[in-house]
Amino acid sequence: MNRIVPVIAAALLAACGAKSSKTVTAAAAEQPAVEFTHEAHIMADVACLDCHSGIDKATRLEPKRHVSVSCSDCHDDARGQVKVPERVKEVRFTFSHQDHLAKVKDCKTCHQALPEPGDKEIKAPPMAACTSCHNHQMDFAQAKCTPCHTDLKGFVPESAFAHTGDWLRTHGNYSRTSAQSCAACHDQTYCATCHASQTTPALPSSIFPEEVKRDFIHRGDYVSRHMIEAGANPSSCRRCHGSPFCDSCHTQQNLTMKSLTPFPVHPAGWANDKASGHFHGDAARRDITSCAGCHDNGASAVCVACHQVGGLAAKSPHPKSFARKHDAGDRRSNAMCAACHHGA
Amino acid sequence: MRTPRHIVAAVALLAASGAGADTVEVTSTTLVSAGQQARDRRLGQEPDLVTVVPAYEIVSITARDIRTSIADDLQLQLSGWGSYDFDSLRWDNGTSESLTGDLMSAQVQARFLDRRLTLRLGREHVMSGVARMIQIDGGEAILVLPGGFRLSGYVGSPVAQRFASRTGLKSWNPAGGDFAYGGRVGWSLAIPGHAGRGLDVGASANVVEDAGDPVRQEVGADFRLQPLQTVSFTGFGAFSVYDERFSEASVAARWKPVHRLEVTADWRFLAPDLLLARNSILSVFSASTRKEYGVGLDYEVGHGFSVGGDYHLSVEPGETAEDNSYLGQDLVVRADWTRGATEAGGEITYLDALENGYWAGRLYGKQGFGKVFAAADVMSYFFKEDVNGESFAVTGSLSGGIELARGFSAVLAGRAGVTPFMEQTYDVMAKLVYNQTYTVREVR
Repeated sequence: MNRIVPVIAAALLAACGAKSSKTVTAAAAEQPAVEFTHEAHIMADVACLDCHSGIDKATRLEPKRHVSVSCSDCHDDARGQVKVPERVKEVRFTFSHQDHLAKVKDCKTCHQALPEPGDKEIKAPPMAACTSCHNHQMDFAQAKCTPCHTDLKGFVPESAFAHTGDWLRTHGNYSRTSAQSCAACHDQTYCATCHASQTTPALPSSIFPEEVKRDFIHRGDYVSRHMIEAGANPSSCRRCHGSPFCDSCHTQQNLTMKSLTPFPVHPAGWANDKASGHFHGDAARRDITSCAGCHDNGASAVCVACHQVGGLAAKSPHPKSFARKHDAGDRRSNAMCAACHHGA
Repeated sequence: MRTPRHIVAAVALLAASGAGADTVEVTSTTLVSAGQQARDRRLGQEPDLVTVVPAYEIVSITARDIRTSIADDLQLQLSGWGSYDFDSLRWDNGTSESLTGDLMSAQVQARFLDRRLTLRLGREHVMSGVARMIQIDGGEAILVLPGGFRLSGYVGSPVAQRFASRTGLKSWNPAGGDFAYGGRVGWSLAIPGHAGRGLDVGASANVVEDAGDPVRQEVGADFRLQPLQTVSFTGFGAFSVYDERFSEASVAARWKPVHRLEVTADWRFLAPDLLLARNSILSVFSASTRKEYGVGLDYEVGHGFSVGGDYHLSVEPGETAEDNSYLGQDLVVRADWTRGATEAGGEITYLDALENGYWAGRLYGKQGFGKVFAAADVMSYFFKEDVNGESFAVTGSLSGGIELARGFSAVLAGRAGVTPFMEQTYDVMAKLVYNQTYTVREVR
């Protein structure tokens, strides 16, 4: 296992021919401000194509290559080349000036604001400039953001998909209907950080303790409060963890009946005192998933000894809704039923 | 451990096709932590304390928009890790060996027919509909049809920890079993006027079996409706065909009356026992249900400062079958401030359930100093009923990091606390991270 990961990585990089024409780090270097004034040049009736020569033939977005003119080409007292600031955000969409300028003659149709002295970023037209001509409603609904956007990383979602409020609780409803929209920004490797609960190396908050703002589940001393939160919302554990996961730790803590002398976790009256307020039957009815944290052991589960047909507990343990829907046929065909209903 | 053959085959396919990826993202995290964990509790005795020193190598590689003669936008996603426990085995090692590892995601995805057909193969999550984010080794196909229809289906085997047995009796997968399949049919109606306006509806099914026995048989329906730019509704319902009852249902509404204010309301119905595997012996004992009613509010005060809160009322089963329901409560109030390289915030939480509850407070902050940063996080809990004889828990962490050259960064963190199960606890962690994006074709 340990050897296959680097092998795959090496094979992948070789296959993709990743020659890294440009290495982009998360935090772009601090850039000097723009010195060039567009406004003064436009006022002097300098045509866009005078400086952006060849833009009408450009089929790709290459901002630096679109400006090749020197100041000294026009100004006797100027020296050097016009400096285009580095983009803080990567260009992650496709665009052909050639196609668009053939139909839209005026650059201002899209470029309504231009960089001026003091600006530190190129002022790219907003998406509204695209949607003012192109109707992308269905594309949006189907998350067909490609091939215009190569991906949506680095964009902040708006409206319903904004990750605001109690996003940890609400994001599931969006992903169920619009998984393709989530995938526009998030690879499954990102989702797996939390959702691959059985295959993650450790808690996300343990791997990323410095990410104090992220909505990590189980942050801090979760061991001390896990039974409280499990009791408050029994389904929450079951969305990610199977019973053997809980049992693997409980066994190490000597909390299960796999030990001959387990640490007592149940209060007095648990076994058979209904008046104690701690009767196990009531607890199981309220929150059976907590029982499963130690006792989900199939036919060898401790419940079977008493609750099997002919066992110590004479009364049927099944809720009415269960008994109504499962009959003798289930008892014959289902291995779980056979654990208690011998020879049924 | 067996090597997943489809991953090797996918890599071979890529190499053979002479593909070129637009973007390759690589993350490597080398992490070592050290601390103590409790073991083997005995009545009247302090638990044994063991020292755990696991070292991890976590690797994630994503290659996107690989163009081949076979498919448009071929993607490869791989995320996995290996670890070695230098001292005692950590509790979630998952094996009895010091050396272990696992794959979180390992999939090849390709699009065909002008990107209308997406095929995915490998270790993946299925998130649409009633699939409940099931993690499978298998495949999924998604077909975009005319008229706004979308059809998807998947088949595979639920993933177990460390390539162990997949049966529900041993697998950590909540949908333990050896075979799973399902799908969803969806329809989208776009409403002109603003990106996102429209209706998404879908119907789905999810079936899991364990050696032929039913583990899960659910059908579901979901929707997202955004009639206005500022208003959206979502809903989901799941029905257990095997037990002929609803396992879950929820409806949520979100409204932004003004730009800085967001108001939410939600309702949720749950039958927790139906999230147990149907072949679990414990699935036959209970049929209780719960309901939650909630509201939330978030407000951007300005200058990077925002406040918000959520309140949920939970209708739980009473203490005995004859009792009325118990009304539990869940409240979170939070404040958050971000300005430049400074992040700070706090939360107050109140949880009340029949069994127990707590008041909690949390303060956190992070400050950047150029390429160096420091972060702190303190959490404290005051329990309604004592936990292991203790009434509170306090833990705090301090982290510091530095951005090194060429995409490398390093983080050192320490955590200490006083908790009910560990009178004094501490652990330290050091990690070296390599995080790089290779853009083969910068722009097109």
